[in-house]
Amino acid sequence: MIQDAALGFSQASQFSSLVATAIGVMFGLTVGMIPGMTISTGIIIVLPLTYTLDPNISIALLLGLYVAGMTGGSFTAILLNIPGTPSASATAIDGFPLKERGEAGRALGIAIVASFVGGIVSFGCLYLIAPQLADLALNFRAPDLFALVLFGLTIICSFAAKSLIKGLVSAALGLMIVTVGQDPMMGTARFTFDNVNLLSGVHFLTAMIGLFAIPELIKSICTPATLMPETQKKIGSFWSVFPRLADLKQILRPMLIGSPIGSFLGLLPGAGGPIAAFISYDYAKKSSKNPEEYGKGSIEGIAAPESANNAVTGGALIPMMTLGIPGDPVTAILIGALLVHGLAPGPLLFLERGDFAYGLIFSFFFANIFNLILALVGVRLLVKLLNTPRAFMMPTIGLLCVIGSYALRNSFFDIYVMLAFGVIGLIMRWVDMPVVPLLLALVLGKPLEEHLRVSLISSQGDYSIFLQSPFSVGFLSLAAFSVLWSLVVVPWRDRLRAKKLEGPTSQ
Amino acid sequence: MYRFTKTTLTGLIGAFAMASCFMGVVRAEFPEKAIEFVIPFGAGGSADIEGRLLANAMSKVLGVPVVPVNKVGGGGAVTYTHLKNSKPDGYTIAWASTSLLTSSGIGNIPFDHSALDHLGQVEFQPMIVSVKGNAKWQTFKEFADYCKANPGKLKIANSGTGSATHIAAVAVENAMGCKVIHLPVGIKRRNATVLSGEADAAVGPLTATRRLAKAGKLRMLAAPTAERNPVAPDVPTMKELGYDADLDLFRSLAVPKGTPAAVVARLKEAMVTAANSAAFKDLAKKNGFTIKPLVGKDFDQRLAKDGAVVISIMKGAGIYKSKTK
Repeated sequence: MIQDAALGFSQASQFSSLVATAIGVMFGLTVGMIPGMTISTGIIIVLPLTYTLDPNISIALLLGLYVAGMTGGSFTAILLNIPGTPSASATAIDGFPLKERGEAGRALGIAIVASFVGGIVSFGCLYLIAPQLADLALNFRAPDLFALVLFGLTIICSFAAKSLIKGLVSAALGLMIVTVGQDPMMGTARFTFDNVNLLSGVHFLTAMIGLFAIPELIKSICTPATLMPETQKKIGSFWSVFPRLADLKQILRPMLIGSPIGSFLGLLPGAGGPIAAFISYDYAKKSSKNPEEYGKGSIEGIAAPESANNAVTGGALIPMMTLGIPGDPVTAILIGALLVHGLAPGPLLFLERGDFAYGLIFSFFFANIFNLILALVGVRLLVKLLNTPRAFMMPTIGLLCVIGSYALRNSFFDIYVMLAFGVIGLIMRWVDMPVVPLLLALVLGKPLEEHLRVSLISSQGDYSIFLQSPFSVGFLSLAAFSVLWSLVVVPWRDRLRAKKLEGPTSQ
Repeated sequence: MYRFTKTTLTGLIGAFAMASCFMGVVRAEFPEKAIEFVIPFGAGGSADIEGRLLANAMSKVLGVPVVPVNKVGGGGAVTYTHLKNSKPDGYTIAWASTSLLTSSGIGNIPFDHSALDHLGQVEFQPMIVSVKGNAKWQTFKEFADYCKANPGKLKIANSGTGSATHIAAVAVENAMGCKVIHLPVGIKRRNATVLSGEADAAVGPLTATRRLAKAGKLRMLAAPTAERNPVAPDVPTMKELGYDADLDLFRSLAVPKGTPAAVVARLKEAMVTAANSAAFKDLAKKNGFTIKPLVGKDFDQRLAKDGAVVISIMKGAGIYKSKTK
């Protein structure tokens, strides 16, 4: 294990890996910053470029992008009061007022440093927890894995959907699409209509490119040409971004609140950056000595959510690497990116390719370092990119979508599949249906079916096999709890709130 | 400036003229452009790594790029269909394997191996029956005896119903003469299910088993073959243990039916030279497969023999759904 860690460190600190990490960070800061471009869209765009790279180099690039995207989102949140990514929404609450007071540089510096601390804390969690969890997960059998995947699916649906019905419809759609292709147990064709292109099913990355990027392109055609006027983004001098010692002292406490909250919520599938950011903002405010400053430009109010949303990244990598379960769209794409290189995330990754697994962990560490340095030094330059006319940017993205979906399997058919999912994505946006449940159903549907059927073959059709292992019972209870939570507790709580608002006499 | 452009233009025209004369001379010579080398399995797997290296070595022999392209899906069906529908000009070749026989048998391609022309075999490897490193069975005989004492209890993991490893596992089951439960867990979980104790044994290619066996995590009991493999000389064959089972995993090259004989001959020659290249030999030593080029009648025999084994096992297991007309 120590050997693997050392080998992983040397892989991650190779010159080529470091360059890839730095490029990923620059790209991540950029896409994170641009409103409407999420980290998922950014990763989709660079994905085809990574097919031909070495796996450890391409994963370094993607991790750089993931980490920096979380930070980049705060730039526009602070400067324009428009969060560049959903995760930066909470940062705008205090970031924008501080900028209005003429302290944009200070706000950006605090956000960058808090991101770094959150990232490093979550790196610690990743380094310490992931190998242990992988060891434990080696003992998981098919029923345990089925229960785990089921739990992942329930918690995702309850979190991702504003409307439960729409979320469930979206997830069910995803599960239905997964059944197209070769039957995983019998090896025979299923719902392929004798079309050999459908035999390998719909690749979830193809679906994802269509679902995320096409609606984004269509939307951007309908919006103004440039992103913002020149006058709005005065940052101040080069040194104004570097935080002062007194500020650092003041944000220590909110960062120490935000980082563990973020790491923990990252671990849970479905929670993700925005929720972690708001929870830690709320908690930092409640426990602050001067809560009245929150919302008016408090640096604590920037540090808490920013450390939390970056801490989510390391946390989310833990279930992705050790169990192969994605917590958000980005880790789902990372799973796809690893699979393209023939590396299956899961407990065996640490056993068979320990060098690569640790290489990934250390690349994550370097990504955070580069993120700190490049963001502090380059933020004044990066912000100028917001003036790039969309006329240049959008056709490039469109082209990369087509290349990306073709190059995945060298199949022209997949381009049509991608475009079809683009239409589905547009329709879903119009009817206000979340796409994340569909996507995660696409990722989790296959293991769900495989583990269920292997369990039942193994037990000769006896369903009690799911109640024989403590892991399986544990995960199934969690799944039941999470369904009850979103079906019973949440509506009940909402009704209670509504009642309070209406007053005791109504009803 | 004007003069310069004119000179350049004349020069270019001259160069083109010369080039086209030259090409006219060698037109008969195959190959004159890049060759597509279709790999039926995903990047990073053993079929992919071995195929890419062979393509590279063939490119050096033929003097044109031989471009590896992964067309994944249906246990090879996507690639074989693509090959069958390609022009029979030698510019599309496929990295075929035992999967050609199995995907035809299970009905995922509506034709069998006779619908393609074959350059021949490049390499093969045995599929190994392995148990957990600390399992109570030291030898295959103990395993088979346990099975006979407890019929229908032992679980053997394979890469998927109808895959070569499943066929080999059924061959092992038939040879032992007692029922087992086959767990079609997929390539990625095949070894994991043995390590977690969920399955009692797994049948997998030697290259995929060797590393974990060396680390003591798995114990190789036997190979369902006739001859001991030079890579794993300690592993007894089922034949020598007195069981009748003989099915290797082979990898070969195929082209569309009707490819001109001269082109096939040139490709065959390149295949054999590439298979014996130093780089490919190094990979064989590292990963544990055996290079053994077989062309012409020898390979036809292998296809006929293995094809019959696959079909009879599939029929016995009730999964034979061939759509071959």
